[in-house]
Amino acid sequence: MSTHRRWPVWPLLLAIPLVVAGALLAGAAGLPDWQTPLGRAVLELRWHRILTGFVVGAGLAGAGVVMQALLRNPLAEPYVLGVSSGAGLGAALAVFFGWSVVHLWAVPAAAFVTGLATLTVVYLLAARGGGASIYGLLLSGIIVSAVLSNLLMLIVSLAPAEGMHSILWWILGNLQLSAQPLLLTGSVLVLGALVILTGLGRQLNALTLGREAAHHLGVRTGLMIAGCLVLATLLAATAVALAGLIGFVGLIVPHAARAWVGPDHRKLPAVAAVIGGLFLVVCDTVARTIIAPQEIPIGVVTALVGGPFFLALLLRRRKGGWIE
Amino acid sequence: MSDAVLCRNVSAGYRQQPVLQDVSLTIRAGQMVALLGPNGAGKSTLLRVLTGLQPLTGGEVQLFGRDLRQLRATERARLVAVVPQEVTTPMAFTVAELAALGRSVPRGRWANLTGTDQQAIEQALAYTDTLELRDRYYSELSGGEKQRAVIAMALAQEPQLLLLDEPTSHLDINHRLEVLQLLERLNRERGLTVVMTSHDLNLAAEFFPQLALLDHGRITASGGPADVLREDVLAEAYHCKLAVRRDATGLLMILPTRTATAPTGKRVHVICGGGSGVEVLRRLCVAGWQVSCGVLNQGDTDAQTAVALGLPTVLEKPFSPLSAKALTTAGQLAQEADVIVVCEVPFGSGNIKNLDLARQPGKLVLLNTRQVTARDFTPQREVPTLIDALLASGATPWEHVGDLLVELEKMR
Repeated sequence: MSTHRRWPVWPLLLAIPLVVAGALLAGAAGLPDWQTPLGRAVLELRWHRILTGFVVGAGLAGAGVVMQALLRNPLAEPYVLGVSSGAGLGAALAVFFGWSVVHLWAVPAAAFVTGLATLTVVYLLAARGGGASIYGLLLSGIIVSAVLSNLLMLIVSLAPAEGMHSILWWILGNLQLSAQPLLLTGSVLVLGALVILTGLGRQLNALTLGREAAHHLGVRTGLMIAGCLVLATLLAATAVALAGLIGFVGLIVPHAARAWVGPDHRKLPAVAAVIGGLFLVVCDTVARTIIAPQEIPIGVVTALVGGPFFLALLLRRRKGGWIE
Repeated sequence: MSDAVLCRNVSAGYRQQPVLQDVSLTIRAGQMVALLGPNGAGKSTLLRVLTGLQPLTGGEVQLFGRDLRQLRATERARLVAVVPQEVTTPMAFTVAELAALGRSVPRGRWANLTGTDQQAIEQALAYTDTLELRDRYYSELSGGEKQRAVIAMALAQEPQLLLLDEPTSHLDINHRLEVLQLLERLNRERGLTVVMTSHDLNLAAEFFPQLALLDHGRITASGGPADVLREDVLAEAYHCKLAVRRDATGLLMILPTRTATAPTGKRVHVICGGGSGVEVLRRLCVAGWQVSCGVLNQGDTDAQTAVALGLPTVLEKPFSPLSAKALTTAGQLAQEADVIVVCEVPFGSGNIKNLDLARQPGKLVLLNTRQVTARDFTPQREVPTLIDALLASGATPWEHVGDLLVELEKMR
């Protein structure tokens, strides 16, 4: 006999300036003095990481929302259709063949392209003879993923020591990686995809009832599924290209967002993006301060900090988001 | 132009195994039509054809005068809404949010619901009586409430045609009535055309003025209940014997009749009356006995049962004492029978002579001895004496139908 109660969005928006301020001020170098060139450089560095954190977190969380809605599966996440292993392989190849030295963009570009290419292969495999079914997508995604990640392992094992280090660093994920113009391109892509997804919110809602029910409601399901998959992959591949493979965000943040505002996809992509961005910035701040001057991989922090926090949130508000 | 659905020679399915063959069907706007037929007859496929989910292999479908293939998805959703057998969503939508999914395709700008959208949703909730459920989670509702919520979602589309695929098959009897009464009201008050597939012939007979029967992918009968719900038509489609009756209010009732288990080849003559023989006659038939019956007055409940079961029965005029002629005929039947069964009949001056029929020396007589004095309405109170006499001459007493069947099994 529960009546629903959904939380308002404003506390999340209020949290943005607080988190940004905290992340700017905390760090190994302590409170920087913005009047000195060194202090300004430190602040600039931190600001860059904050922006990267927001873009990457938003991208991963938005992609997770779409994947979970389309695949109607609580375990779906941005990487489930092989985007991560595809992008990982691309990045590793770029490092292995030394392209990364030639151009700053080589690694992210390679990751982006192979990520999208992987999704295309997975989709075409699943759609052989008609539209792609959910199970077909999941199955071909898992198979392609497995093949690609073993290829990645092969390359890692063949790479010279310094190459292996940079591949590994990239696989673990790092907000330091991206260059300024790359970040700008990435944020435009992420913002654009999120805006389009918000516009498709009603159709996404309908698709959570399944393909046939959505068809009855007037949704052009084939077009919509393919289009949303492309957008989700774009989001995930952008995030991966900017910061490497950061796990956990794309899986758990959509659940947190649903627990917060309910399952309406007209709000979910945006709310998940904000939560994902905040979460990643907080995690990155922890990662670079907790045993400063040493830095720990952000992926480790997302799991260690985020795990208990989101677990508590979900246990309390599970019913508001996902039905088991 | 007033045809809601026009199917012309529609075929669909696989090339080797067509599910629908050459189906032609016209449904006028504002009609309520039930699609009946056994499992696998093609009912659901026909619905899928009407919603554009199932591609045609031949023929054409028009909805409200427009070719289905030319309709855009958004236009189609404004004409036709569908209530599937079951709707599941992994997301925790409330009833109001679910109903809002009926407006999935933006009609106004951007993703927000317009005032018209909101109005349609509220109206749908009000019609389906789900206003007070609006903030409850869909997944936590009972079966009947869920079905009403899904109908609300379909109504929010403001369709002109509502298709329902066995919407009541998961529901218990009172929720079935609830859903069907809702459909009736929508049809009457909003002129909504309703097409529903159903396995429940009785509910279809009660609520749907128009029926169509599908069998092996073809329409084998269509029209009013009296045209479609005929024993010969149904027997052909369902491959079993169905009895079609009218109940006291004139409503058609369809009952499956069990076919006899291995015939015994033996005959039983039953003496009954006043309803005492209804169950006995039916169960003896089912158990494979050849049964005769009499004498009974016309209009007696037992007489109706005997005639319905097609048994040789000796009948007397209504409310008249048994004539000598009738008694002689019945006596012959009794004599030819292997067993005589006397039920828990109330005896009065009119029918007491029936008891004499049981006096057949050397024949097995199964005699009901339950509450003999209570059903003795003869002026001289002679029934107990007659019963005792029969028992003394070797009749076997029984009280309940179960005992009777056990006694009879010994005869097989």
